[in-house]
Amino acid sequence: MINRKKCIAMLLAGGQGSRLAPLTNDTAKPVVPFGARYRIIDFPLANCVNSGIDTVGVLTQYQPLELNDYLGIGSPWDLDLRYGGLHVLPPYQAAKGSDWFKGTANAIYQNIRFIKQYNPEYVLILSGDHIYKMDYSIMLEEHIKNKADCTLAVIDVPLEDASRFGIMFTDKDGRVTEFEEKPKHPKSTQASMGVYIFSTDALIRYLEEDEADPDSQNDFGHNIIPKMLADNCRLFTYLFTGYWRDVGTLNSYWASNMDALGDMPTLWLNDPDWRIYYRHSFNHPQYMGEHADVTHSICGDGNEIDGKIEKSVIFNNIIVEEGAEIKDSIIISGCTIKKGAKIEYAILDGGVTVEEGAVIGGPAEGGTLAVIGRDVHIGKGAVVKPGESVTEDREGV
Amino acid sequence: MNALGLIFADSYDGALDKLTEKRTLAAVPFGARYRVVDFLLSNMVNAGIHDIGITTTGKYDSLMHHLRSGAPWDLDRKRSRLAFLPPYTSYNGGGIPENRLEAIQNNLQYLKSLPHKYVLMSGCNYVANIDFEKAFEYHIASGARITALYTKTDLHRQQELEVMEYTIEEDGRISGHKNAELGDEIRPLSINTYIMEREDLIEIAERSRRQGKHSFRHEILFPMIDAGEKVMSYEIPAPVLFMEDLSTYLRHSLKLLKADVRDALFHVDGRPILTNVKDSAPARYGDNAKVTNSLIADGTVIEGEVRNSIIFRGVRVGRDTVVENSVIMTDVTIGDGVRLNYAVIDKDAIIQDCRSLSGYITHPFYMGVNEVI
Repeated sequence: MINRKKCIAMLLAGGQGSRLAPLTNDTAKPVVPFGARYRIIDFPLANCVNSGIDTVGVLTQYQPLELNDYLGIGSPWDLDLRYGGLHVLPPYQAAKGSDWFKGTANAIYQNIRFIKQYNPEYVLILSGDHIYKMDYSIMLEEHIKNKADCTLAVIDVPLEDASRFGIMFTDKDGRVTEFEEKPKHPKSTQASMGVYIFSTDALIRYLEEDEADPDSQNDFGHNIIPKMLADNCRLFTYLFTGYWRDVGTLNSYWASNMDALGDMPTLWLNDPDWRIYYRHSFNHPQYMGEHADVTHSICGDGNEIDGKIEKSVIFNNIIVEEGAEIKDSIIISGCTIKKGAKIEYAILDGGVTVEEGAVIGGPAEGGTLAVIGRDVHIGKGAVVKPGESVTEDREGV
Repeated sequence: MNALGLIFADSYDGALDKLTEKRTLAAVPFGARYRVVDFLLSNMVNAGIHDIGITTTGKYDSLMHHLRSGAPWDLDRKRSRLAFLPPYTSYNGGGIPENRLEAIQNNLQYLKSLPHKYVLMSGCNYVANIDFEKAFEYHIASGARITALYTKTDLHRQQELEVMEYTIEEDGRISGHKNAELGDEIRPLSINTYIMEREDLIEIAERSRRQGKHSFRHEILFPMIDAGEKVMSYEIPAPVLFMEDLSTYLRHSLKLLKADVRDALFHVDGRPILTNVKDSAPARYGDNAKVTNSLIADGTVIEGEVRNSIIFRGVRVGRDTVVENSVIMTDVTIGDGVRLNYAVIDKDAIIQDCRSLSGYITHPFYMGVNEVI
């Protein structure tokens, strides 16, 4: 019996994410914590599983330790399968030498053998730095219906943002006629989400051609897609209308976290039909103390909270003492916020201790984010100004 | 650890009446995200016990659904397993056991199939974080035939349940036993947890079956104590929360709001309490939420007021609603403008807008699974 998968996913998770520093100083962007209990990569992985795709190759490169630990054998996402499942694909050494992944296309090229092993009809290419809930199976149906060589998921963005994206122009049937990567004067608002479905034959053919071209940057957006377009391949767009955010910068990361708050959140995490699965950390339920006052926020487990929290995202195992105030902020797991400390419009990475009376950040309105790196100690009464990025301990006053 | 665990999922004495109407005692929800059995299983796993059998009589769907393969406790291994031991499991197993000894007699095949020297057996009528390794060390060092675990506490309840009080000599030997009396006095009370050698237990079970005996306590343990056999006692130094009736269930649930009890249960290094996971979203607090002195699980959406309460996973608390001194179990929906005081609301119940329901600490208001008010 010959086994074969209809569609497998290749998830590009090797990027450095330098614009998310200091959150990505010691770890890969896909494993950056998000939404009080998730990691960014949980979203594309959950999307795969919820869309019926059970074989995912995760391409890792930058700072993979925490990412590999987090992924394990994929059991949190039900991807620990006998045939298929989750596979971590790091760069490797071969008989003819070894190579880091040079670009997105080269990363997939180096893993063509993995793809062939499952002999799929279609390959879904994903990236590990977007927060969204998307049913890929609908996109796949469109791809099949259009007899496409490649289908690119697009989202309608405001015209003023369009120059940050790869922009598509299509005819009335949705067939791509023109593609521009980050155009200065965008003529359309259909932005590529970095989600592609390829028919496998076309993918492998173009990856091999691209690899043979010494001038290529080996990138899907810059090289593969323009080449396919020039060759008159059947390229189609798939317009996605749900929630989607690129969380590549600290500001967009903060804003997307805030989208999960409120009585009618735009990022609905409680959706019973589209659960976002994650690796659990097994903490006791959160305890809200006598002086706790928590509004318009989301909170993870294992917390002991006795302070005031407003419009914030609170992860796991966090202690907030009486009289401490947190507003418009993201507090990642293992932080301790002592009596009377004030935190406003800030991101605290894991394990930060904020001593009594310290003040971090300032009003969100018109302000800039203050960011505290992992395990940093902020001394008693110390002040961290808006816009500061602190990666070393700060002494008290 | 050279031991297997044997858990009796039912009390056989009839406890927690309404809470155990549709589930075993082991599957009773406790502490915002756990079931009673989670504590016992975690204690065993934390002590290095990986072969664990759970005997049940009936109503075990809820329990099996919760435990599944035992994966959250890393019990789905090739060289060990979590074994369900419902009635009629084996050829000579017998039917529905009416007490613990009969449950052991019915599962001799399971006991004989394992190589371990010792067995730790326990009922599910309490919640605690216990270092079983220390209890084993004590058992082995003392050379006891049976070590019975106990805790020093008072006893309050309405139902006439049999709780044993031991007479303990200076060297730890148990010399007497009686039914404990109700009251505020602190007494050494049995927690129905015993350590002994597996082969000894098999022999006792086989002999007692031939003799038609059925009660472990009355026909095995007490006669041993009376005959001066070496039955030793081991005191649990941590708080033990008994599950006896609805009132103690509510009182002991609310004890989790005390920092020392929470620390002793949940914050012990190397001894985490594990449970089945549900991939719930984080708890979400609305614009007008006011939550104080409460334990809140994930997946909850809270828009009203919650005081001195335990809120399980997936609960929704509506606007202008006040929940006080209550336990609200998984996926309960509470509408707007509701008042709840001293209530125990079982899973999936729905309380519609503007209802006002109240009991008292000695007589909590109880609402059953899936009920609608």
